[in-house]
Amino acid sequence: MNDPNNQNTITIPLSGRIDSNNASSEEERIRSLIGPSAPKGLVLDAEKLDYISSAGLRILLRLRKECSDLRMVNVSSDVYEILEMTGFTEMIGVEKAFRRISVENCEIIGEGFNAAVYRIDSDTVVKVYKHGEGLEEIKRERETARLALILGVPTAISYDVVKVGNSFGSVFELLNARSFSKIIAEEPERMSWCVKEYVDMLHVIHAISVPEGKLPPVKEEAIGDVQRMKHLLDPEHAEKLMHLVNAVADTDNMLHGDYHTQNIVLADGEVLLIDMDTLCVGHPVFELARIYRAYVGFSEYDPAIVLKFQGFDADTAKEFWQRSLRAYLNTDDEAFIAEVEAKARCIAYSDMIDWRIRHMGLDTDEDRATVELWKKELCELLDGLTELDFDAGAVLSGGQDANALEVEAERNSLEKVMDFVSERLVAAGFPPKLVMRFSIAVEEIFVNIADYAYPNGSGTVKVRTRFENESAKVVFIDSGIRYDPLAKPDPDLDLPASERRVGGLGIFMTKKLADDISYEYRDGKNILTLELKLPAGGEPK
Amino acid sequence: MEIIKKENGSALTLELRGRLDTITSPTLEAVINTELDGVQELTIDCSYLEYISSAGLRVLLSAQKKMNEKGSMKVTNVNEMVGEIFEITGFCDILSIE
Repeated sequence: MNDPNNQNTITIPLSGRIDSNNASSEEERIRSLIGPSAPKGLVLDAEKLDYISSAGLRILLRLRKECSDLRMVNVSSDVYEILEMTGFTEMIGVEKAFRRISVENCEIIGEGFNAAVYRIDSDTVVKVYKHGEGLEEIKRERETARLALILGVPTAISYDVVKVGNSFGSVFELLNARSFSKIIAEEPERMSWCVKEYVDMLHVIHAISVPEGKLPPVKEEAIGDVQRMKHLLDPEHAEKLMHLVNAVADTDNMLHGDYHTQNIVLADGEVLLIDMDTLCVGHPVFELARIYRAYVGFSEYDPAIVLKFQGFDADTAKEFWQRSLRAYLNTDDEAFIAEVEAKARCIAYSDMIDWRIRHMGLDTDEDRATVELWKKELCELLDGLTELDFDAGAVLSGGQDANALEVEAERNSLEKVMDFVSERLVAAGFPPKLVMRFSIAVEEIFVNIADYAYPNGSGTVKVRTRFENESAKVVFIDSGIRYDPLAKPDPDLDLPASERRVGGLGIFMTKKLADDISYEYRDGKNILTLELKLPAGGEPK
Repeated sequence: MEIIKKENGSALTLELRGRLDTITSPTLEAVINTELDGVQELTIDCSYLEYISSAGLRVLLSAQKKMNEKGSMKVTNVNEMVGEIFEITGFCDILSIE
């Protein structure tokens, strides 16, 4: 009965009843199996033990004195109760026997790379780990789930561990649980609802600041990915990628790490997370990268992949990603959305290339073509990026976005708007002359919206500033009547004063004062963008 | 914005200080509408005018139209920024700017 892996640990089976009738003969039997010198580790396998009395417990006490590591495993509920009442669970290691269940013919309600979730009955699901994860991993996941729950994430926590074939499983009580993937696949009209709940939950997770040392830092994993795959890139791109990943801000945001719709369930009207073993800490761009990977990235070469994993097609998955990203960033600023997407994709490709090579190799034409495609995308993205993070704090604080102002569309709001824009222009280093030039343009556009956007009532205008590459942009967004001010003909400047009219002059001035002006109408919104460039020589045009 | 009035017989000088924009131009408009009786020479002194938007231009245009009927109007001491606005809007051709 010696443990082949450890000559110093002996496992001895116990069976039936151990009470005053047979205690001394049992002790003799155990001692004969141990031999003359006491082993360091002694494991008593209680799988077939039905009962143990105080006479039996005294044997345990004596054995404990001789073996520093005494454990009892496969303990039935009845025996466990005795050990617990007498305080023995505190003195020696006691491991309960696991209930055995079968998931044969059970419906799979969610499936990830590491585990599958089955519905056992109407209010119970079991998550079965696929790769022979041991008790340690399950315990760790339970601990992180508990941490997440305490910190405010709606999490399902398993109440029991069971054996499913040779694997372990965690049991959850979840009434009528359905994964979001199922909902999207079966009821496409609920996509908007799913996006909203999905993003709300993501905001909740990311808004949690993780105490130091509680969760693994995601950046270290990302750096590992890059280190393993960078030899596939040319030296310049490899170096830039490494540099950019290293430079991502080390924030303390909680990240889920594998946030996709198989891991979120709707149970009895409540939205809950069921997979917590990937919880980590770091900048949210890493989370967005993994979401991109799950919904778009992995399927870029073979669109069938997402169908296999999520149960809906690649177009649906792409739409889900795009709507979720937009909702997550909570903005209409197209340039910002595109920028964050590029950053997330950049991280996703380095992760995916490494993942694919490690899990599937580079042996087939398909392997090589997939990796080539991702490499090409990655290098193109790298050329256009100077950093990989973004102001996640502003995104997560929602309305507190320091670069946006929402006001009533009326003339009374003008001063607020003008102050808002000029303060930011000055802070960005624009000289007073340019600030004034741009202020006139801002005034003209704002007054135009205040006067005409909402003819039958009131509404708001959102003003957003954006600075990049020596240029300033001010974007005006309103939900008023569709109106393109740029379509208006320019006034005739040659007319004498008596025939001149002022209509259209403001817009005309704006066209002259701004370096660029553009208008679009999208999703029921007028979006007008003014751009002013900082001249290279420092002198305005 | 501050408007400083200097009267000299039938000549009126309005010195504009600060910003002539959507918010402030109604003040100048009120002056133009009520105080031009008997004025034959109107001078708009822009020495201290820092800023002008189309709302300001509209008031200047209406003053110019009024003065065309009974006398003359000139705009003086225009700074670079305001001058640029007059330039790009063609107002330098319809106002007499010194």
